[in-house]
Amino acid sequence: MSHATLIPRSALAGLTFHSASRPNVLAWDLPPVSLASVVSRRGPVAELRRRALAELGVALPEGPRRVSAGFISLVGIGPGAWLAIADRLDADFHIRIGRTLGPCASVADQSGAHALLRLSGAQIRSTLGKLLPIDLYPRAFAVGAAATTAAAQIPVHLWRLEDGTGGHPVFEIAVPRSLAVSFWHALTESAAEFGFALNP
Amino acid sequence: MSEAAQPKRISRGGMIDRARALSFRFDDRDYTGYAGDTLASALLANGIRRVGRSFKYHRSRGVLTAGPEEPNALVELRTGDRREPNTRATVTELFAGLEARSQNRWPSLALDLGAVSSCFSPLFVAGFYYKTFMWPKSFWEKLYEPAIRRAAGLGRASGQPDPDGYEKSFGFCDVLVIGAGPAGLAAALAAARRGARVVLCEEDFLLGGRLNAERCSIDGSDAVDWVRRVEAELASFADVRILRRTSVFGLYDGTAGSHSASGTRTFGAVERVSDHLQQPPQFQPRQRLWKIVARRAVLAAGAVERTIAFGGNDRPGIMLASAVRSYVNRFAVLPGRRVAVFTSTDDGWKAAFDLSEAGASVEALIDARGEPPASLIEQLRATGARLYAGSRVVEGHGSAGLSGVTIMDSQARRTRLRVDALAVSGGWNPNLALATHTGSKPRWSERIHAFVPDVLPGGLAVAGAARGALTLREALSEGAEAGAAAAEQLGFSGAAGEQWRADEEASEVAPLWFVGESRGKAFVDFQHDVTHEDVALAAREGFRSVEHLKRYTTLGMATDQGRTSALNAHAIMSALTGRSIAELGTPGARPPCTPVAIGAFAGPHRGRHFRPTRRTAGHGWAQEQGATFIEAGDWLRAQWFAQPGESDWQATVDREVKAVRTRVGLCDVSTLGKVDIQGRDAAKFLDRVYSNVFSTLPVGKVRYGLMLREDGFVLDDGTSAHLSPDHYVMSTTTANAQRVLQHLEHARQLLWPDLDVRLASVTEQWAQYAIAGPESRRLLEQALGDALSVSNQAFPYLACAEFRWQGVPARLFRISFSGELAYELAVPAQYGDAAVRAIAAAGASLGVVPYGLESLNVMRIEKGHLTGNELNGTTTAADLGMGRLMSTRKDFIGRVLAQRPGLTDPRRPALVGVRPIDPYSPVRSGAHFLSMGEPPTLENDQGYVTSAAFSPMLNSWIALGLLSRGRERLGERIRIHDPVRSGTDVEVEVVAPVFFDPAGERLVT
Repeated sequence: MSHATLIPRSALAGLTFHSASRPNVLAWDLPPVSLASVVSRRGPVAELRRRALAELGVALPEGPRRVSAGFISLVGIGPGAWLAIADRLDADFHIRIGRTLGPCASVADQSGAHALLRLSGAQIRSTLGKLLPIDLYPRAFAVGAAATTAAAQIPVHLWRLEDGTGGHPVFEIAVPRSLAVSFWHALTESAAEFGFALNP
Repeated sequence: MSEAAQPKRISRGGMIDRARALSFRFDDRDYTGYAGDTLASALLANGIRRVGRSFKYHRSRGVLTAGPEEPNALVELRTGDRREPNTRATVTELFAGLEARSQNRWPSLALDLGAVSSCFSPLFVAGFYYKTFMWPKSFWEKLYEPAIRRAAGLGRASGQPDPDGYEKSFGFCDVLVIGAGPAGLAAALAAARRGARVVLCEEDFLLGGRLNAERCSIDGSDAVDWVRRVEAELASFADVRILRRTSVFGLYDGTAGSHSASGTRTFGAVERVSDHLQQPPQFQPRQRLWKIVARRAVLAAGAVERTIAFGGNDRPGIMLASAVRSYVNRFAVLPGRRVAVFTSTDDGWKAAFDLSEAGASVEALIDARGEPPASLIEQLRATGARLYAGSRVVEGHGSAGLSGVTIMDSQARRTRLRVDALAVSGGWNPNLALATHTGSKPRWSERIHAFVPDVLPGGLAVAGAARGALTLREALSEGAEAGAAAAEQLGFSGAAGEQWRADEEASEVAPLWFVGESRGKAFVDFQHDVTHEDVALAAREGFRSVEHLKRYTTLGMATDQGRTSALNAHAIMSALTGRSIAELGTPGARPPCTPVAIGAFAGPHRGRHFRPTRRTAGHGWAQEQGATFIEAGDWLRAQWFAQPGESDWQATVDREVKAVRTRVGLCDVSTLGKVDIQGRDAAKFLDRVYSNVFSTLPVGKVRYGLMLREDGFVLDDGTSAHLSPDHYVMSTTTANAQRVLQHLEHARQLLWPDLDVRLASVTEQWAQYAIAGPESRRLLEQALGDALSVSNQAFPYLACAEFRWQGVPARLFRISFSGELAYELAVPAQYGDAAVRAIAAAGASLGVVPYGLESLNVMRIEKGHLTGNELNGTTTAADLGMGRLMSTRKDFIGRVLAQRPGLTDPRRPALVGVRPIDPYSPVRSGAHFLSMGEPPTLENDQGYVTSAAFSPMLNSWIALGLLSRGRERLGERIRIHDPVRSGTDVEVEVVAPVFFDPAGERLVT
């Protein structure tokens, strides 16, 4: 019997960067949380919506939006497809959602599939402007907006949270775990001229 | 710095900073200029007129323009790995320590041996090379072309990797304004004042356009003051972005989701972030490529003055009149002391006034028109210049630089004047290329004798000189109107009041394209050395359309696109063929409309960042184990794990294979594609996408499956595991993961939308490790403990299970690619690193070794298992010996077309094994099969080797291959022919494609 213990490891562990000194772009490597893909099954989506509202307390977002209630957030990532995000690492998260939504949805554990980063700072829009082909202007991408797009050729999900202290916008981005190192390079290179800090 | 060092510098005025002298080098000599200079203005200030040699005839050339349309003043800028050829001196900002060299001359600019080609110039007409170097044909590639390329061509690339960085950026706005001259500034301000989000792009480092180069006023004060006021107001808007040193080079279709009919367009632009510096500051790119998505755009790119084709119109010292005004007024440089002006426009006269004001002696004003406006004649009186009305310049003299001109007056009398500079004005061509990038053709204007935009792409407006409105008054009003209209179309409204007053200007143009009485060459393309004679030749030889003229003579095909003179050639063609210029038309323009470095298009995606790289969760662990990595698609996979003392990779692989086959090995297989399949119809779906049956597979079991394309060829192979009643997980090959998912989604969404089944890629979710070898069960027992029983009874071959390992969701599959007793253990990827360490620790006492892709490959060849080498898109299930997996009890994708005669032909190559008679004779994949004694011809080809390896278990080279009628030929001796790599043929025996443990006993023990 082995005594090695299984502890989760961040996809960004041990990565470094170089940048100008005063940080105007801030990133946080978020603690691990559970994620699941939710795809509506054949048939009307109304029953799925009803169950989500009744059992999880969330109105399933229509289109690219993020909603949050209690322990769960849901981000619309495609027609009839959502990314469910728990507020902590919970091995039973996808099972619980799967049971709750029953035969109305296919739910698959994706806790290991993404690296999650929170991004903010005075120059975060200029930085993301070098990576994302979408408009992050406040009027175009309001709080609660979400997008499934590509950052420097890497498929990502992105959503906007409430502004942070200092009035700067706050985004979270989900990057395929295997591409996290490449994304990190693209992000830190793009932010370098503005100054970058990790987990400030 | 003393003024004497800059002999042509005017002592006062100009938009240069005389407090900041900058030293620079040109052709190994030191000079001084000022901040605010371009390289061209600094060279002119230092009295340098000759800056390069021409492309074909090696004629001396000087600065013609003061802008990006420059055809002559192309230099090699910087040195070493930063050397940039063909850099336009007219847009190169001077910086301290700048180094530049003239091009296309040897050994020096003054003494250029290539100039002898001018003596033979009657030979070097259009089409000369094609006509002359035809024979013998074989000489073209080896002799003629290299020699011609050496003689011609312009600068030299550095040949070294570019040390600087390039970036891409996406921009979005309501209104994009292209050009910050009077029209652009007015447009930007009008749009900004109404609340629109505005991006203003200007090629120059200063805003203002022609206002910086002309003596004119707005609202009664100096126009430059107006520019500064507008610039300050624009800067005060949070939603206005001004991009200086930025060229918009292309207009593209609307973006996805915003139909182009809505007006939204995508533009390409390049921002020269650090080109004006010795080298980019830390963290700054040299250039940034912008993709700008604009809901509306205003093109206010101004116009380019064109030359007049007369004999010797390329002499250094002959300049466009507008350029003369730029150098005098903006850069405080006097291009000549004794000057003349040759014009067919009112506008050209201004050069005479400005030159005179700056202290030059204006010797003559030559106007081709018989009766120039009286107001101009009155104004000229003060300069003392002699007016030659109804006259032309027929020749420019001075091969090293202009020394004089010969004038023919209205009575056909010739007069030679001694001058050192000549300003030429032949009219204005609107900068309208962007308006034509989506395919619309411009329209001929009889008013300004130039092409002007006609039907515009949706969302684009054109204002000012770019539309043919050549006066300042028109530019201001059209700009303001266009900017306001763009904003208002988008629902912005509010403040107006963009009413600016500018003086009346005389702006009449009479066309003068070519002086028929010319002596000597009259150039219609300076950069490509195309003359009026070439146009005449093209006309004689039938190349009469503008597109043919262009391609036959290379007119307008150089980097300047012939902006200053191609229209003169069209006019000559028009006269020769009796068609109007409007009928003749103008060649289509495609993006980019200005030269853009290829590095800017590549951006940061170069070298190892050309595309993103995928790493598995166990990457760090593999690195610690000494892995050598190899690119497998987007992934980096461990190729082998060399240990100290191993002589080469073959020794490493031999050790790894033997360890797996005798003890136990550990291999990261996370890169294989994984698809989660859920739904009541999941089994039915699998039956339809696989050629073999899956609906009979019980929960808790895995089955190998073969997937065909619609056309009957094999698409991919893999396994699917039945996890719970409506839930499967499919594995695909690494290479085909995305393609298979696409194929499955196509089938699900389009072919059978009625099936209740949903797919999700879970490739990223699971880190998966193969544990293979006789000791693999003991290893797992030690690693998993009580989490799962892995005894042969509880967990037989092809079993699968979901379970918790230390509370972590885990999956175990008893499948084997190596042919050994083997398992694949999967955990969520965030535990992948911890899991591989736990497995390695549990196996330490059993002598577990990590093994890589190469060992995996050796073992699968020993077992005759397939990879992409065999599943290469040209093989059928039967070819691969998998005919038994083609179910006859159900329908599936590819079933019908797999029965085509061509796919069931018994002569098709079939999968076989081969072993060399001499076990140490290497066999390489790609080598071809031949029957013994037959010559190596295409007709005798019998197939080829798909995979080969040295098997340490058999102590012999072994290989898989596709051999014609292969299955009937077991035991036959054939030979392998590999002329490209080895030369000598290898004799081999055809055997069954399973070399090791053919009965598969190791799998089930």
